[in-house]
Amino acid sequence: MTGQATYSFKRYRKFVLPLIALIAVTEGAAIVCGATFDKLETGLIKGISFLQFLFPPDWAAFKDMIEPAFQSIIIALLGTIFGTILSVAFAMLAASNISHSWVRNMARFLIGLERSVPEIVILLLLIAAFGLGSMPGIVALSLGCIGMLGKLLADIIEEIDPVMIESMESLGANKLQIIWFGVMPQIIPSLISYSLFRFEINIRLSVILGAIGAGGIGYELDYSFSMLQYHRASTAMIVIVLMIFGTERLSYLLRKKFKVEGALQ
Amino acid sequence: MSTVDITMPSKRYKQKATIFMVSAILISIACIYLNFNPIMFFTEFHYVRDLLGEMFMPNYQMLYENTSTGVSILQTLSMAFLGTLYGGLLAFVLAFLAASNTMPYKAVRIVTQVFVSMLRVIPALVVVLIFVIAVGPGSFSGVLTLVIVTIGSFGKLFTEIIENAESGPGEAIFSVGASRLQVIRYSIIPQIMPSFIANLLYAFDVNMRAAISLGIFGGGGIGFQLQMAKSVLHYKDVTALITIIIVLVILVEKLSDYLRKKILGEGKLR
Repeated sequence: MTGQATYSFKRYRKFVLPLIALIAVTEGAAIVCGATFDKLETGLIKGISFLQFLFPPDWAAFKDMIEPAFQSIIIALLGTIFGTILSVAFAMLAASNISHSWVRNMARFLIGLERSVPEIVILLLLIAAFGLGSMPGIVALSLGCIGMLGKLLADIIEEIDPVMIESMESLGANKLQIIWFGVMPQIIPSLISYSLFRFEINIRLSVILGAIGAGGIGYELDYSFSMLQYHRASTAMIVIVLMIFGTERLSYLLRKKFKVEGALQ
Repeated sequence: MSTVDITMPSKRYKQKATIFMVSAILISIACIYLNFNPIMFFTEFHYVRDLLGEMFMPNYQMLYENTSTGVSILQTLSMAFLGTLYGGLLAFVLAFLAASNTMPYKAVRIVTQVFVSMLRVIPALVVVLIFVIAVGPGSFSGVLTLVIVTIGSFGKLFTEIIENAESGPGEAIFSVGASRLQVIRYSIIPQIMPSFIANLLYAFDVNMRAAISLGIFGGGGIGFQLQMAKSVLHYKDVTALITIIIVLVILVEKLSDYLRKKILGEGKLR
């Protein structure tokens, strides 16, 4: 009997109470957001009827979209390249087996701080400082890399084979030589695979940043939407989807290739 | 004789040098094409200094003077919460329709998989622009966008988790006469629940950041406040809002880490 009682109490505490709390929080959140079912219904009907404005896409605008799309890709590429270089530097500073403990803690703190600021906020500030253009976009993307790649690479550097570093140290190599000949060859496969992954993220981000003012295809999309040229907007959407899909496939293939090479090493 | 060989640049060295030079030239061409000069960041750094001068000290009075700040913080949190909850539930259902060990009909599987990957490819910016037109600007359009984004990014992952579940328990139940639904309920769901919850907590973490950026495009919440403060050049408010955002993001991250550990248990983390 007592066993039965404790069982039901446990079930009550572990399952029913969290469920009630979950429902209460959901209700509260729905009230805060103004989310109601009839709003959803009218919104969905309106949204579906809106979708027919998007068709057919304006094929004539297709060739106007090629250059902005190319610009977006270049922005993402440059952001990834500069960001990877920056994040390797930060990762070296943040790895405990290369730098001193206080440098490491400071670098880790900076990386963590960077990680918690969304790229879009960085971009808003950079646009406020430098004005519109591709430069704030590239700088924001490169700074965004530090938060993600810096932490991942620092963890990888801390896990590398210490024997190599010790043997180089015993032969009298200086810090730069150790980093260049001892650390870099070991982290390059994961560096390439992570930066390709980051490139995918940066392509998506460069579209969003473009809509705020970094130029490129995102700007075209936002502009067409605000000018109510929906056919043109749907062309831009198709170009964006193709761009994202293409880079994703490419990065997947490249990553697979480099992973094999890394395993063979 | 051998000294000559050593001093000559080796083939590998030449190869590396060529790759390095070609990529350096390509990068500089790209920089020239975009009118981007990395050194400009340092030569024109005084703009950043001026901006920082305007941004300090942060104006924290707006926290209690203006109730809209508190409301927008709550809105961002609830957007992330609702988006994660409904998006996660829909992704959960769709994952069962797309997994090969729970859905016997191939046509349904393929349709679901194509649907989920379509949602994954469409960027959040497009979705939010459409929903802002459909339901009007505000946090509700942000919630709907986050639902779509969550389905897209986690649907495929959940499908893989279900397909990786062990088939032994299910076969055992099936052999004593359980229906397909009973197999799912008593063999697959208990196996996937821990990683499902862990991934949902991670999704909450991601959606929190996404909710901030969606606000800038009319999704409501603290991102909207930030955009407003920036466009009327109240930079002291901007600093205060950025610090609030940083604190929120860190708190949510710590909370989701803590809950994940608590639900999964330290040892059970796979």
